[in-house]
Amino acid sequence: MGTFIQLVIDGLSAGSIYAALALAIVLVNQATGLINFAQGGMAVLAAYFAYTFLQWGVPLILAILLSVLVSFVLGAVIERFLMRRFERGDPDTAVVVTIGLLTLITGLCGWIWSFNNLQFPSLFPVQTVNILGAVVSIRSIGTTLVIVGIMLLLQLLFLGTKLGLALRAVAVNPQSASFSGLPVGRLLMVGWGLAAGLGAVAGALIAPSLTLTPGMMDSALVYALAAVILGGLSSPIGVVIAAWMIGVLENLAAVYVPFIGYDLKIAVPFILIFIVLIVRPQGLFGRKEVVRV
Amino acid sequence: MAAATDFLSKPWVRWVAIALVVIALIVLPLILPAFANQTLARIGVFAVAVLGLNVVMGYTGQVSLGQIFFVGVGAYVTAYGVQQGWNIALVLILAALIPGVIGLLISLAAARLGGLAIAMVTIALPIIGVPLAKRLSEFTGGSQGLSARFSAAPEWTGLYDDQWQLYIVIAIAGVVFLLTRNLVRGKYGRAFAIVKGNEAVASSMGISPYRYKVLAFTIASLIGGVSGFLYMVVVQYTSPETMSFGHSITLLASMVIGGAGSILGSLLGGAYYVLAPQLTNAIDSSLTAVLQGVILLVILFVLPGGLVSLPRLWRRRKSEHRGMPALDATASVTVPTPHPPTQSEEKRQDT
Repeated sequence: MGTFIQLVIDGLSAGSIYAALALAIVLVNQATGLINFAQGGMAVLAAYFAYTFLQWGVPLILAILLSVLVSFVLGAVIERFLMRRFERGDPDTAVVVTIGLLTLITGLCGWIWSFNNLQFPSLFPVQTVNILGAVVSIRSIGTTLVIVGIMLLLQLLFLGTKLGLALRAVAVNPQSASFSGLPVGRLLMVGWGLAAGLGAVAGALIAPSLTLTPGMMDSALVYALAAVILGGLSSPIGVVIAAWMIGVLENLAAVYVPFIGYDLKIAVPFILIFIVLIVRPQGLFGRKEVVRV
Repeated sequence: MAAATDFLSKPWVRWVAIALVVIALIVLPLILPAFANQTLARIGVFAVAVLGLNVVMGYTGQVSLGQIFFVGVGAYVTAYGVQQGWNIALVLILAALIPGVIGLLISLAAARLGGLAIAMVTIALPIIGVPLAKRLSEFTGGSQGLSARFSAAPEWTGLYDDQWQLYIVIAIAGVVFLLTRNLVRGKYGRAFAIVKGNEAVASSMGISPYRYKVLAFTIASLIGGVSGFLYMVVVQYTSPETMSFGHSITLLASMVIGGAGSILGSLLGGAYYVLAPQLTNAIDSSLTAVLQGVILLVILFVLPGGLVSLPRLWRRRKSEHRGMPALDATASVTVPTPHPPTQSEEKRQDT
């Protein structure tokens, strides 16, 4: 029983990170209708920024906040000068652009900071606490709590502020939004910036356990995409629940299903997807999209 | 220019051109140095892989990030079959069929998802494929990989190994290219184009987008498997690294850079896949990934139709200079789509 609880809590913490990345992907998708495959790469870049700030002697928490800020600006700049041109065109082309961006960012990280594993300090102490006989690391609990806190903040932003209202208006209908006087372009930049900032938090939280490498987020991206498919692109809450589900299930499968083990646990979300797809093609919580010709 | 187009569209000119290409393909391996032959053979291998990707992505508009997985499966099937001493023709058939069946099963589920979700599912293939190949070490040799030497030149030919391998690649790749060209120019190709253009229109015309997406994906996997067979002919060794995520992305970049939705573009894409790393390594090996990303983004910005659209772009420039209206200067942003047939192509199909 102890192991079980431990696995579930570790799974929730991993799932929280996938959830943050998945939310960033949903945020961009809602605003611009495309999938940003470079979201994970941008998060890695942010983690490298935080690493560099640390080298300069900035305290850890400040370094992470700074990297979030830099990521916000970078995300906005990428939207304005790279993606803007492709947003109205063919979505396939835009996807290829984000893949080009992923290659470029991964390459840049490797070129500047080398492809070697770098140690990234954790925000939380390495101690463990005893919960119902299970040994649970504070890092897992802390990671989960931070991400949940950020999600609540985002919810507050989207539902309780004017900026959030404007962002939602742009997501629902860019044309009508611009007719009613909203600066659509700038709001898109804010959307991308928020997504990049969210990714930066995920990057800083996952870096201590994975160690920092340019390809660190590749599998996290795959998990996040799986969560997006399972939860449905139109449902942020569904995506978060799906991400937690994936985190917990893969951890359990790794231990209790001998064939899967730790190396193949990444297959778990996709087995799940195949089952769900046969039953509910629009995702667990998504709405069926109706296209007008 | 009109005179030149007329000249090129005469049937006998085309036959002579085809004959010249065939003769060149037969003679060149005999006179080129071994290194050039090996490079050409590798280009042929990856041109076939890019061609497969083109069927599903360039022609049918379904972004696939997993093509390299099928190349890897084809290579593993080939290596395993050769080690078991199976007949080589049987090995080739299995190397195409097994990835095809896997592709069919995956697409049956993945094609139910609309739009970009196929990309989101297929990105998992190389990422799952690598640990899976390590795990199934009984068949794959684990991280060590498998090697299979079956492509040495037979005595009676009097050829060197590199020449013999290049001939095998040319023969098999030639057949695959010819079959695919016929496929995309015929009834199925038109169905693919409509599915890509507008799924609602496709279903209103009685063309099931689901069925054609599955078909395109399956064909792409089959072709990927053949490419894996050829990979073993040339490289004679495969490991989990063959189907890594990075290679999958490079394959996709090669397709876009060569030209999406184009047979010739697939060939150019294969050349890019093989030659670009050699070029960027020569500049600075630590910059390889950066340069690849930059090249891909620059191509998307200035030449969205890929390298294969260069001549067309040039022709359009010329006609603009002579004061004729631009064909579709704004539409070029939305490419890669198969371009509307230019005049010369239309004429060719009439004759």
